Amino acid sequence: MSTPGPESPVVLSLRGVSKAYGAVQALRDVSFDCRAGEVHALVGENGSGKSTLLGIASGFLVPDKGLVEIGGRRRRRGSPSEARRLGLGIAYQTYSHVLDLSVAENLYLAVPGDERPTYGRMEKWAASTLEEFGLDVSVKVAVGTLSLVQRQLLEVVKSLLARPKVLLLDEPTTALGPQEVEQLHSLVRERSRAGVGVVYVSHRLPEVLGIADRITVLRDGVGQGTFEAAGMTEEALVALMIGRPLQLAFPERERDGRVPEVLLEVSGLRGDRFGPIDLEVEKGEILGIAGAEGNGQVQFLRALAGVERPNGRASCDGDELNAKSPLAALRAGVVLLSGDRAQESLFPVLSVRTNTTIQVLRSLGRLGFLGRRPERRMVDDMVRRLRIRMASIEQPVQSLSGGNQQKVSLTRPFLRGNVKLILADEPTQGVDVGARFDIYDALRAKANEGVALIVKSSDPLELAGLCDRVVVMSRGRIVDEIRGDELGERRIVEAIVGGGVVKASA
Amino acid sequence: MRFRGWVPLVLLTALILAVGAFTAVRQDAFLTEYNINNLLLSTMPLALVAIGQTNALLVGGFDVSVAALITMCVVTASFMLKPDETTFALLLGSLAIVGVGLATGVFNATLIRILRLPSIIATLGTLSILEGASLLLRDHPEGPINSDVIDALNTSIGAVPVAFIGVVVFAVLADIWLYRTAMGMRVRAVGLDETSSRRLGMSTGRIVFLAFVLCSVVASIAGFYSAAQVQIGSPIIGDYALQSIAAAVLGGASLAGGRGSFIGTLVAALFLSLISNILPLFQQPTEYAQMTIGVLILLALVLYQAPRLIAQFRSGWQTVGRLRTRPGEAPAA
Repeated sequence: MSTPGPESPVVLSLRGVSKAYGAVQALRDVSFDCRAGEVHALVGENGSGKSTLLGIASGFLVPDKGLVEIGGRRRRRGSPSEARRLGLGIAYQTYSHVLDLSVAENLYLAVPGDERPTYGRMEKWAASTLEEFGLDVSVKVAVGTLSLVQRQLLEVVKSLLARPKVLLLDEPTTALGPQEVEQLHSLVRERSRAGVGVVYVSHRLPEVLGIADRITVLRDGVGQGTFEAAGMTEEALVALMIGRPLQLAFPERERDGRVPEVLLEVSGLRGDRFGPIDLEVEKGEILGIAGAEGNGQVQFLRALAGVERPNGRASCDGDELNAKSPLAALRAGVVLLSGDRAQESLFPVLSVRTNTTIQVLRSLGRLGFLGRRPERRMVDDMVRRLRIRMASIEQPVQSLSGGNQQKVSLTRPFLRGNVKLILADEPTQGVDVGARFDIYDALRAKANEGVALIVKSSDPLELAGLCDRVVVMSRGRIVDEIRGDELGERRIVEAIVGGGVVKASA
Repeated sequence: MRFRGWVPLVLLTALILAVGAFTAVRQDAFLTEYNINNLLLSTMPLALVAIGQTNALLVGGFDVSVAALITMCVVTASFMLKPDETTFALLLGSLAIVGVGLATGVFNATLIRILRLPSIIATLGTLSILEGASLLLRDHPEGPINSDVIDALNTSIGAVPVAFIGVVVFAVLADIWLYRTAMGMRVRAVGLDETSSRRLGMSTGRIVFLAFVLCSVVASIAGFYSAAQVQIGSPIIGDYALQSIAAAVLGGASLAGGRGSFIGTLVAALFLSLISNILPLFQQPTEYAQMTIGVLILLALVLYQAPRLIAQFRSGWQTVGRLRTRPGEAPAA
């Protein structure tokens, strides 16, 4: 990595930027700059103002105060097209795809007007562009039919189409497995060597330390300083992000004195994109599922939860799980925490209170009327136990940070009686560091009550720290099992990379 | 995405042919040059206003003020296009009518884009204002409209009005523009996903603004043909708001924005006029026309939904289709 010296020209500069949403001060007098040829990471917990900062830099948001300069030229008004003209490319965390348009059309829209090919040549041009970036998808299909991995890579490709001088990447790896991350990082390095200034936002600190030249930390909308990445450690960064030192400690495993008792038995289970799978999970055990994205992990979890229909046998605590519907699985004590919180677990516009109690309303009812006081008590209790941070329990769930949204969906296994098996799909995706450990604690607490958990995660560090045992899936089958002292981040990554997995994003 | 408007198009054409054949066999009066000419002429106002409405629907909005705007245009015509005016005055008068459309469009677009009102509410307000203004100017039908203008508007080659040919050409060109040019694609992108479009650097505000202005201007042209039909400054003109939305939706437009076809809209407008045209031939009261149209609209919409509904049922009754597989999963390689 060629570390650019301070003499490299500044391609993006924000000076004294402030922005408030109503009473909430999202950014307070923040300054930030990115030089040509460097990778400048921006880290902070969810809600620390990273996305607001990027939004202002990209022209999508107008700051209340402060200056933005792109390529040495001052931006006059908030307009994404102006920022793009000045040489700014951005890959949004939530993407900028029009899902109903084709891949070719989406690429076409991402190019400034004067550089576009003629409309008739669009598909040919799009195909050659994708080939150049090594992304193997059909240009004719609607973006809505692509996998999340493909969408994320496509977003990055789009941000590069206008040959930007400064490139903003907002959480570009959330959907990616270790292999695709490496693929993306080599692309980023190549661009930065070519003189592009890259602003890299991610909550995955090992990634950040691996790719960044400099790191700026934000906390509660205030800059905590800019540091050379070479001298930084994960612990130091976390301390800056949360304002106190945090033991990077996962909850204790209380394995001693537990009599092994098998809860979940799976034999020859197969379904859409997975199987046959044989597996046993004990009471009180946390089993991790690792693997490159798209190797059947999610389908396997969803089959157990009765959302998809498998063939083969699965039983939970002696009861046959011939899961015909999510409801039947719930009755058998199987709870799925979906990876797609907003769509599948929560009612985003409803309040924390409603989202918490909606699943157990019957227990709160009296002659069909809700008892407000017991309801409040129940919600307050959950808020305390799971450390949900919010202004009021009447706040809509969609206004909470990702971590707190996940905590709200975690109330389900806590409030329901008769929970025997929890299936967690990416329980900490989009969740900030502080909240992560609250979630790990909550999951471990459930395990200690004798509940079995299966956690699917694309974060090897998380699997190594949280789980008692990890199985690695590839092409729908279990190809490796890691337990005991062997269980470590490195070992998991090796198993994923070495597991005979062909490129999953293709 | 390629042009997907063919399902409604095929369906509507089949319906028109079927209904036409049914009528032609039973009623000699139907396939006469006079009646066909009459049918096509009576389609003109609805066809035009529905094409305008398609613009609003494409960017994800509604314009319910078109009905009152057409009335206003007819009333304006009764003042500006009087029987004994010079050609120059008639030209000025015509410009004034289009000017009414332009002003209404800018007013609506300002309410919607700049003051951020929901389009249905904003145009409802405009509707009320224009209705009141029309009644103020003409509290009862009076003021005949220049017959030379009417004749010019109704010029026909055989049974086919020149204007109708013009509308067909316009609709074809508009669809090519919408589905085969970069600008058309941008309009659809804004209708489908405004946030992404803005992120991609499009001036979404300008596109939506223009769509609403265009909607009103085209509606004011529909006003000419409406005037040619009633031939007098009447403050009571038919309900074009709902009919234009119905025609656009029947033609394949989505209420959620981003989808629609001008040809489809035109064919749907022709179909709706056909229903109104044939009922008197069978000595049926026109009330039936309205009911028939309502039933057919519902039937057509159910049919358009069919592919999606079938997919949903296949995926099992207990889950909503979309939930079945998370979109984020690539097939295992």
